[in-house]
Amino acid sequence: MFNSLWSWLCSLKVAIVLASLATSTLIAGSLIMPGHMDLFGSMDQMPLHQWWSSVGRQAPHLTRWIWATGLLLALLGLNTLCCFIDWLQRIRSRWRKTGEYLLHIGFVLVLCGYFWGSSSGYREKMRLAVGETAGVVGRSGVFLRLDDFNTLDDANGRPIDMLNSLTLLVGDQAVRQKAVHTNHPLTYGGLAILPLSFGSDLAGFRFFTGEDGEIELTERSVLPLPNGGSLRVLQVAPMVIRDRSGAVRPSFGTRPANPALELEILYENASVWRGWYVLQESPPFPLIQAGIRLWPTGPIYRNYSLLAVHYDPGAPLAAAGGVMMLTGVLIAVCSYYGKRRLGDRPEIT
Amino acid sequence: MSLLLDTHLYLCLAFGLYLFACVFYLRAWRRQSDSALRAAQWLVGFGFAIHTISLALRCWKAGYLPVTNLFSTLFFFSWALAATYLYYEIRYRLHASGLFVMFLNLLLLAGTLMSRDPLRPLIPALDTPLFTWHVAFSFLGYAQFAMAFSLAVLYLAQRRLGSERLPTPTDLRKLNEESIFLGFVFFSLCMLIGSLWAYRAWGYYFSWNIKGIWSFVVWLFYAGMCHAKFVKRWQGSGYAILSIAGFGIVLFTYLGIGLLLSSNHPLG
Repeated sequence: MFNSLWSWLCSLKVAIVLASLATSTLIAGSLIMPGHMDLFGSMDQMPLHQWWSSVGRQAPHLTRWIWATGLLLALLGLNTLCCFIDWLQRIRSRWRKTGEYLLHIGFVLVLCGYFWGSSSGYREKMRLAVGETAGVVGRSGVFLRLDDFNTLDDANGRPIDMLNSLTLLVGDQAVRQKAVHTNHPLTYGGLAILPLSFGSDLAGFRFFTGEDGEIELTERSVLPLPNGGSLRVLQVAPMVIRDRSGAVRPSFGTRPANPALELEILYENASVWRGWYVLQESPPFPLIQAGIRLWPTGPIYRNYSLLAVHYDPGAPLAAAGGVMMLTGVLIAVCSYYGKRRLGDRPEIT
Repeated sequence: MSLLLDTHLYLCLAFGLYLFACVFYLRAWRRQSDSALRAAQWLVGFGFAIHTISLALRCWKAGYLPVTNLFSTLFFFSWALAATYLYYEIRYRLHASGLFVMFLNLLLLAGTLMSRDPLRPLIPALDTPLFTWHVAFSFLGYAQFAMAFSLAVLYLAQRRLGSERLPTPTDLRKLNEESIFLGFVFFSLCMLIGSLWAYRAWGYYFSWNIKGIWSFVVWLFYAGMCHAKFVKRWQGSGYAILSIAGFGIVLFTYLGIGLLLSSNHPLG
């Protein structure tokens, strides 16, 4: 009973049937894709499990082929693994097939790595300004710092690549430092961090003060007041709106259409006033009362980089499988002619 | 001097030599002439040498292996097919079988003669040796699959004709198996290097774009074929038919997706 089940699991014919079915399912599925790009267009933006739960399940009749292919490939992987174990048991008489069977086990590892990564990985985006440090999504205690950012421009001045100097920190310990650009990601424990896009956003404003000349106020700037207190910048908003009651609140938009600074006046560490200075209007009375005059002269922009943070726990396993496949392919091709000369041909089923 | 560096001129010359080789192969086939056969083989050899000079000049001018668009990949595919054919011809003496392969090669090369492709600097995503090796192994694999297709057609023809000018069906079957195996080896290298490149460029090693899926289909199909040769029922005509069907999948992956569908794969 067990022997016949084992023979069936190792069967060459089963492998061919499963490979043929997986091929046919993939062909049929891939022909559905072009007509439903609203559904399939986001497949590369997230791991398969996430795509399925957020997008794929909305149209099960169009995405069922992915499950079918996954099942057929899992069965093919099982068959391939059984063939490899069967070969290991007979390695003394079949050692000439080492290359071919390394290819088999490599394929199994790549499949396992892909299934693992697809079921428990994630793909997120991180926006970092130069000098900023932020926690990596999904990895507590891991931080990323953008030390510097530049673009590589072509002869017409058009940016063609993004050069990010990144430092990866675990706690406060720097564990990786790398110049990340196209084809050069920062990798660490299944994480891959790549440049995605870039831009600049409003960081603050330059003001003319009269006595001190020009000063720069950005988020968290502190300005000493003439009467002993201090002025703190809480927030810089590129766009604010005033509602019916006259209260100011930030609105959507990144262009400084109606910019404002949320400020706080402190005396002996106690807040005495907190409010908005809408730059297109006259300064708020508490500011004038505190003896400070601020005339806005221009915006301050800072570069930010948009980074892709991909976590694939199966990637190291898939890489090991890839190395095995590569070794297997090279051994198989080097030994092919020798084996053919010896007439070493497997049993014909 | 500029004429000597004109890659298009060399390409036209190679096309002419391949065309004459086809004429001589046809003559050798019809009149059973050994001298015509030898002339055809020499013409293919000279044509390949000129073709190689043209490719080397394009590499030298561009600073990279130019395989970034349909024109340049047709050019490289044709070169790889000629190299593959010469390998089989020198090693196994295919004789008049060359007519069919060289005719296929002429079709590929004719596509490149239609236009002149200006060499542009590589965009950063493609400016990596991984890209060059990925595409080179891909087309070396395609060339072997094209060879397998030609041998399969000849196998089916030979079983009907029983011509003395062609290798025996057994030899054609073995050559077909060899070209499928070598094609699978090259294509596996292409897939492995492509996966590594994709991981470094986009952070994932398998992309669900149509070209990615069909490339996996090609790999899986030929992996199945490497096993099918051990199944008695699939040997001979069955295997030849599979080789023909497999080349259909290859052609769709290479040309069909780019021309009929859209894909976000870097090469369409």
